[in-house]
Amino acid sequence: MFRVLILILILFSLSSCSSPEGTWGWYVIDPTTKAGWTNIKFLIGGFYSTILLSIIAAFLSIFIGLVVALPAMSDNKLLKLFNRVYVEFIRSIPLLPMLFWVFYGLPVIFQSLGLKIEIDAFWGAVITLAISDSAFTAEIYRAGIQSISRGQREAAQTIGLSQFQAMRYIIFPQALRRILPPLANQFIYIVKMSAFASVIGMQELTRRANEIVVTEYRPLEIYTLLILEYLVLVLLISFAVRWLEKKLGSNESNSN
Amino acid sequence: MENTFAVEIQGLTKSFKDFRALDTIDLKIKHGEKVVICGPSGSGKSTLIRCINGLEEFDDGKISISGKPQNPAKESYVSDFHIGMVFQQFNLFPHLSVIENLKLGPMKSLGLSEKDAETRARKLLERVKIPEQALKKPNQLSGGQQQRVAIARALCMEPKLMLFDEPTSALDPEMISEVLEVIVDLAREGMTMVVVTHEMGFAKKVADRIIFMDEGSIVEQNSPGTFFKNPQTARCKKFLNQILHH
Repeated sequence: MFRVLILILILFSLSSCSSPEGTWGWYVIDPTTKAGWTNIKFLIGGFYSTILLSIIAAFLSIFIGLVVALPAMSDNKLLKLFNRVYVEFIRSIPLLPMLFWVFYGLPVIFQSLGLKIEIDAFWGAVITLAISDSAFTAEIYRAGIQSISRGQREAAQTIGLSQFQAMRYIIFPQALRRILPPLANQFIYIVKMSAFASVIGMQELTRRANEIVVTEYRPLEIYTLLILEYLVLVLLISFAVRWLEKKLGSNESNSN
Repeated sequence: MENTFAVEIQGLTKSFKDFRALDTIDLKIKHGEKVVICGPSGSGKSTLIRCINGLEEFDDGKISISGKPQNPAKESYVSDFHIGMVFQQFNLFPHLSVIENLKLGPMKSLGLSEKDAETRARKLLERVKIPEQALKKPNQLSGGQQQRVAIARALCMEPKLMLFDEPTSALDPEMISEVLEVIVDLAREGMTMVVVTHEMGFAKKVADRIIFMDEGSIVEQNSPGTFFKNPQTARCKKFLNQILHH
């Protein structure tokens, strides 16, 4: 991955030796010129919305996912059915149509109910990402919890633990280490999917890149920078997750 | 209390779909009695003891524990008459240390303080002869040591009845005796116990009664002396031949 980065940096440096008529136009994001610097500041300014949007959506998804996953563990058939219907239904809706439905459709429903709830681009994107992703996090929880053998639950039962206590002290602590890596994967997925929020006008990374492309006619240079922006973001998350996994792994030796 | 049985089972029946695992079982176990259950695999031995402590639901019949009738729906029985269980696969909690495995039940279920639970746990580790392993994780121990921890974990709840579900079947041969020793000691102290096992030497030594099961029914039950010298049924003779002269 670092080789790719270096390759792209070489491409950047090549910009100075391009012909005067110029197939390259790196000047649009040349930090040494005033116009280029202004463009870069505008583009990088999108980080704030992308990060905020992703984090809120991820937290909501982690919460909703758990609420959806727990009924799957119950012996009650109706609760199990709720879990299956939710997961299958939500999982089958592509993100973009769902975004349109939430942003353009949902306010109509609110209006007809006489509710004065407005959905701006930010919250429209947060809700869509969180719900769309929650079907996947629910499946991750379910797989993680079910991967703990039945014997663990039975042993907990024979030393008098309630179902809740068994979950709290035996099942969940063991499942957590298996759940965390795929959850982190989902977070990276959310960061990337947040680019869709650009189509409903949210000023995040992709939207800002689009706006500069329209005025500067330099798609290659600007989209290259955009890709690098996502790359940096995702790499940072990956490192953070590795660190967290390690910490959790070493903590295991004295957890309670 | 002295008049009632530790376990009283009447007409216990259970099916898994089309397969009849238990077929109208009647069984009474006195306080302090040691019962060994043997029989070919799939004969319902494990299912029977799993019904006694509520790990398995049953379809029909009655189970009373120390005179108290139990609900056929799956539930664990925490009462003054606690039932301890030792599994074939140990089922220790791998994320907790040995001592934490022992302390969890007394603290969370009986409401003991950490200090009292610790004292009780240490005493039991001494009793199963592995006090020095208290802070290790289960997977750092040998199979025999793990099973002894599992026995100590069950004893930590101060049960009145202990169930053993093939406690030595998952062990390497050289570790079987160290686990059996612990169970024999326990038997000598007067614990009521039901042991599913194929260890016939052990059965001879501790059992007050040996029960032979086949196809979900109790085929034969007798004192060890009669059971081994003079088996009454053809099925039981065949089983003993296979298990004693292989």
